Amino acid sequence: MTETESWANVNLRQVGRPLARTDAPGKAAGKTRYAGDYTMPNMLHAKVLRSPEASALLRRIDVSKARALPGVACVLTAADLPDRKASTDIPGQTGKKKLATDQQVLVKERVRYHGEPLALVAAETQAIAEQAAELIDFELEPLPGVYDPFKAMRPGAPVVTAPDNVVGEHKVRKGDIEKGFAEADEIIENTFRTQFIEHAFLEPEVGLAWIDENDVINIRVATQVIEHFRPIAEAVGVPHNKVRILGALVGGGFGGKEDVTVEIYLALLAQATGRPVRLAYTREDSMFGHGKRHPFVITHRTGFTKDGRITAVKVTITADSGAYVFLSPYVLLYATVAAPGPYRVDNVHVDAVAAATNNMFTSAFRGFGAAQACVAHEAQMDEAAKALGIDRMELRRRNFIRTGDKLVTGHPIESAVWADECMTKAWEALGERTPDAGPVKTGRGVATYQQSYGRITWLHDTSEAWVGVEVDGSVVVRSGVTDIGAGQVSALGQIAAELLGVGLDDVTIYNSDSAVTPLAGTTTATRGLYMTGNAVRLAAEAIRGRFLARAAREFGVEPGEVDLAESKAFVTDRPDKSMAFKALVALCASEGVHRSELVMFRAPFTGQIDPETGQGRVHPDYAYGAQAVEVAVDTETGEVTVLKSVGAHDVGQAINPDAVAGQIEGGAAMGQGYALSEELCYEEGRLTTPSFSEYLIPTAMDVPRYQSIILESRSGLGPFGAKGIGEPALTPVAPAIANAVADAIGVRVFDLPITPEKIVMALRRAEAAE
Amino acid sequence: MFAEFDLVMPGDLDEALDILAEAGGDGDAGILPLAGGTNLVVDLRARRIRADKLVGLGRIAALRGIERSNGRVTIGAGTTLSDILRDPGMVEAAPSLVDSARVFAGQMVRNTATVAGNVCCGSPAADTVPPLLSLDAEVTLAGKGGTRNVPLADFFLGYQEDERRPAELVTKIAWDAPKPKSANLFYKLARRKGDAITVVGVAVTVAVEAGKCTTARIALGAVAPVVKRAREAEALLEGEALTPELIEAAARQAAEDSSPIDDVRASADYRRHSVHALTRRLLSQAWAQVTEGG
Ligand SMILES: Cc1cc2nc3c(=O)[nH]c(=O)nc-3n(C[C@H](O)[C@H](O)[C@H](O)COP(=O)(O)OP(=O)(O)OC[C@H]3O[C@@H](n4cnc5c(N)ncnc54)[C@H](O)[C@@H]3O)c2cc1C
Repeated sequence: MTETESWANVNLRQVGRPLARTDAPGKAAGKTRYAGDYTMPNMLHAKVLRSPEASALLRRIDVSKARALPGVACVLTAADLPDRKASTDIPGQTGKKKLATDQQVLVKERVRYHGEPLALVAAETQAIAEQAAELIDFELEPLPGVYDPFKAMRPGAPVVTAPDNVVGEHKVRKGDIEKGFAEADEIIENTFRTQFIEHAFLEPEVGLAWIDENDVINIRVATQVIEHFRPIAEAVGVPHNKVRILGALVGGGFGGKEDVTVEIYLALLAQATGRPVRLAYTREDSMFGHGKRHPFVITHRTGFTKDGRITAVKVTITADSGAYVFLSPYVLLYATVAAPGPYRVDNVHVDAVAAATNNMFTSAFRGFGAAQACVAHEAQMDEAAKALGIDRMELRRRNFIRTGDKLVTGHPIESAVWADECMTKAWEALGERTPDAGPVKTGRGVATYQQSYGRITWLHDTSEAWVGVEVDGSVVVRSGVTDIGAGQVSALGQIAAELLGVGLDDVTIYNSDSAVTPLAGTTTATRGLYMTGNAVRLAAEAIRGRFLARAAREFGVEPGEVDLAESKAFVTDRPDKSMAFKALVALCASEGVHRSELVMFRAPFTGQIDPETGQGRVHPDYAYGAQAVEVAVDTETGEVTVLKSVGAHDVGQAINPDAVAGQIEGGAAMGQGYALSEELCYEEGRLTTPSFSEYLIPTAMDVPRYQSIILESRSGLGPFGAKGIGEPALTPVAPAIANAVADAIGVRVFDLPITPEKIVMALRRAEAAE
Repeated sequence: MFAEFDLVMPGDLDEALDILAEAGGDGDAGILPLAGGTNLVVDLRARRIRADKLVGLGRIAALRGIERSNGRVTIGAGTTLSDILRDPGMVEAAPSLVDSARVFAGQMVRNTATVAGNVCCGSPAADTVPPLLSLDAEVTLAGKGGTRNVPLADFFLGYQEDERRPAELVTKIAWDAPKPKSANLFYKLARRKGDAITVVGVAVTVAVEAGKCTTARIALGAVAPVVKRAREAEALLEGEALTPELIEAAARQAAEDSSPIDDVRASADYRRHSVHALTRRLLSQAWAQVTEGG
C-alpha cells in the first residue's frame, strides 16, 4: 500500500506518475537477457579455485594434472601473472590513487582470507573446469592470523596490511565536548555490535569476455560500475581504451557488485586463450566472491538535559575491514558523518577506525556505514527516552536538525528536513496496537535517519547523458548508467518524456556500454537519479528550448508561451494553436535545428575535510525519513514476528512512485533480515554459513504486508527536487525493529542479529538481575 | 556442483528391489533409492555422498496413494508433503503431520519431497518424524526376501543409522488415526518462519478418558542424534489429570531427556530451554483441547 503526499504545486505530467516501467514487460515475459544469458560460439567455461584457509603460506601449487586433463584450455596461477595486481581503491573519475591498497589477483605466497583465489581454470565445459580445479594440487602452511579488529590493532598482532593494520581513520572534533557533558543532567552510554552480512542478490556474479578484432577486451558482466574498465585495464596491462564493459540488466546489486568481481579473471583467461570465456559464480562462490557489510562496534555516550536536549555526543566506531581495504575508509567516513543521527548536536567527538583482519574483506553495502550508525543512534535515543521519562518521538522532535543547522562536519544542511513529518506519518499508519497474547508480547519501535545521496564531494562526481529526437519524433536516451533492478533506466525515460512532451513508450534507452554510451558514473551511493537524472534533464531541456523557440516562431508567440505535451506543441492558453510534435521535429530537422544534446552534470566539488576535526563538506545533500514497526515477541521461545512495518521517506520528488514503493518495501525486507536473522559467521576467518540453509534472508512467510508512504518536499538536488531512496529505504529498518523488540520485552539486545536465542538469554539475565 | 551417476527408473517394485540387490548379497552402497531428491541430489552435488547409480522410485505405482480404512491410515512411500496438505482427510488423520507439512521447506520442495525420504534421510531435524512418532507410526520395509514392519520408534538406531538394509525400500508408513478424545500437535521452532532448518521440533499426543490422560506421546526433533520420544516425561503423564504442575514437571523432564548440541543455528542451552517451553505449551494446549467441550 502506498500513499503519496506532496506539499508543492508543480504541474508535472509524466514525472510522479506510476507508469509501467520500461524494464517491466521484458522481465514479466522472461525476455530480459541478464549477463548470464549470453553465450558465444567456441566459448570456454571458467572456474576459480579458492583457498580453504584464511591465513596461510602457499608452499606449493602444481597444476600439471589439471592442465593435462582433456578439455582444459588454460590454468593460471600467480606464477603466470608476475606483475598483475588489482586495485581495490575506489574507482572514479578523478584518476587519482589514494592508498597502497592493491590486491594480488591470485595468491602468490600469502593467503589473507578464506576463499582468496589460488588459480583460474578455463575448459570446454563447466564440468571439466570443475574437475580440473579439483586436480590442482597445493599445499598451504597455516599461519597465525588475526580475526578481530581490536586484536589487529594491538602491538605484535599479525600484520595483514602494513604497518599496523589500520586502514582507515576519521575524526570529528566539533564544539566543546567537556562542556557539553558538564551541562548534561543525564549521560547514557551503550555499546552496539553489528554483524557481517551478505547482499544475497538473486543473480550471483557472472560475465562473458571476448577479444575483438581491434584487440579490445569486451566483457559483458553483471555490475553496478561499468567504469571499472579502467582498473581492469590496469590489472591486465592494456590501455584503458582496450577494455570495454557491457552491462545488462542486473539481478540486484546492493553494493555487492560495486567492486570488480569476475572481470579480471575473465580478461586474463580471454587473453591467455584467445577465446571467449564465461565465468558464472555459484551461490557458494558468491559468498566468497565479493565484500560483505562491515561489522561495527559502536560506543555511544550521549549527554541530555532533563528536558531532553542533547548536549554532547561522543562516539567511537571500530570496523572490521577484513583482508583488503576496498571501500572501508569511505564506509567509515559515512558512519562518522551519520554517527549522531538526524539531530542537531553542537558538541561532537567521533573517533572511527577500520582495521584489517584475516576475515572476509568488507566493502559497500546499501546504507554504507550510515546504516550501522543508525542502529546505534536510534537505539540510543530510545534508551535515553526511557531513562529521561520522555516519549520516544517527543525526545526526537526536541532534537531534530533543521534546514540551515550545521551537520557534524560543520557544513549546513540546505534541503528540507522532514524527519518529523515522516516519523509522525509512519507511526500513525501503524493504527491500533495489537494486544499481547499470553507470553507473546507486542512492541513498537520507530527509527529516523540521515542518509547522504550522491558521492563524496571531493571525488568530483560527474555524470553524462545524451538525448536525441529522431526525425519521426521518437526519442533516444544514451547513458552509461547501469540498472540494478530499481528502475534506474526507466526513470531517465520518464524525465525525457516529461520534458519533450511524449509518452514513455516513445523513448528508447541505451545504457551501460562503456565504449558507446556516455559515462554516467556508478549506480551506487543513491546517486543514479540525482546525477544521471539531472544529466538527462539538462540534455532534454536544451532540446526542448530549441523546439519551443521554433514552435513559437510558427505560432507567432514567445517561446515562454509554448508547451509540449501529449506529443503536441501548443500555446499554453490557446490549445487550438497546436501542432503535432512529429511535425515540429520534421520542421526542425529540415532546417538543421540540433535535435540532440550531450550533457555532463557535475555534483558540488570540494576539497577534503580537515583530517583533525572532520570539518568541511562531505556529501552533496542528505535524505530523511523513518520506519515504524510493530512486532510480536514470544517471550518463551524468543521468536519475533514483524506484524506491521511502515516506511515513510521524503524522496524530494518521486519520479515513479511505484518504483519508490518498491525500494521502500525491499528495504523493509532487507532491513528485517539485518535485524533478526542474517549473519555471516566466521570462525578463525573460516566461513561457517556458506549457503542459504545457514544464511537466512526473510522469506515470504516472514514478512508482513509492507506499507510505503512517500513524501515530496521537492527540496533535493536531483531532477525536479528529487533526493533519493535506494539506500535510505534500508537504513532505519533494523533499528526500528530493535526498538520494537526492546519495547515488547523491556530489555534490549545490543548485538545484531536479534535471534530468538539472544532474546531468551536477555530475558533470563533481566530476570536474574531482579 | 556436478555429480555423475546412472539413473534407472524401474516400472514396478520388484524391478526396483532387483536393481537394489544387483551388487549381490545385501546391496551396495553405490546404489541408492531416489525419491524427491531434495536431500539426495543436494548431498551428491555437494560431494557429501557419492553414488554410482540411483534408482528412481517415481514410476512405481505401488508406492503411491493415501488410504484410510478401519481407523488405519496408510501413506505410500511416494507421498509428498504437498499430497499431505492437499488431502482433506489428513487434518483429522494426522493433525501434527499437517502442522509440520505447513512449515516444511517452501512450496517447490514440498511438491517433490516425500515423507518416506524425510524418514530415510536420517536427519535429527527431519520435520515429519516427531509427528509420525507421536502417532506411533509403523514403517513397512520391502526387500527381495519379503516385507517386514518396524515401529518408527525402533527404526532409528543412531546418527544417520537406521533399521533399513541397503537393498530394502520403505514402501509405506501407517498409523492409527487419533482417537476422538485426543489431541495431536506439532511445533517447529526455527530461526525464521519460512524454509528453515529446525532448531527444535516438538510433537505431542494426549488422549483422555474419564478425566485422565490415557496416552501421552512427546517426540523431540533436533535435540539428539536421532528424533526421539521423551519416554520418561510421557510416563509422568499417563494415568493422571494434567495439572499445570504436572505439565511443568513433564516439560522439565523432556528437556532432561534431550541431549542437544551447539551448532550454527543455536546453542544446546537454548535448545533445552525451548524443549521445556514448547513441551509445556503443547501439552497445555492439548490438554485444554481434550478437556474442553467435554
Ligand atoms: C530447500 C530445502 C528445504 C528443506 N526444508 C526441509 C524442512 O523444512 N524440513 C525437513 O524435514 N526437511 C527439509 N528439507 C530436506 C528434504 O526436503 C526432506 O528430508 C525430504 O523429505 C526428503 O525427501 P525426498 O523425497 O526428497 O528424498 P530423497 O532426497 O530422494 O532421499 C533422501 C534419502 O532417503 C532415501 N530414500 C528415499 N526414499 C526412500 C524409500 N522409499 N526407501 C528407502 N530409502 C529411501 C534416499 O536414498 C536418500 O538417502 C529441505 C530440503 C531443501 C533442499
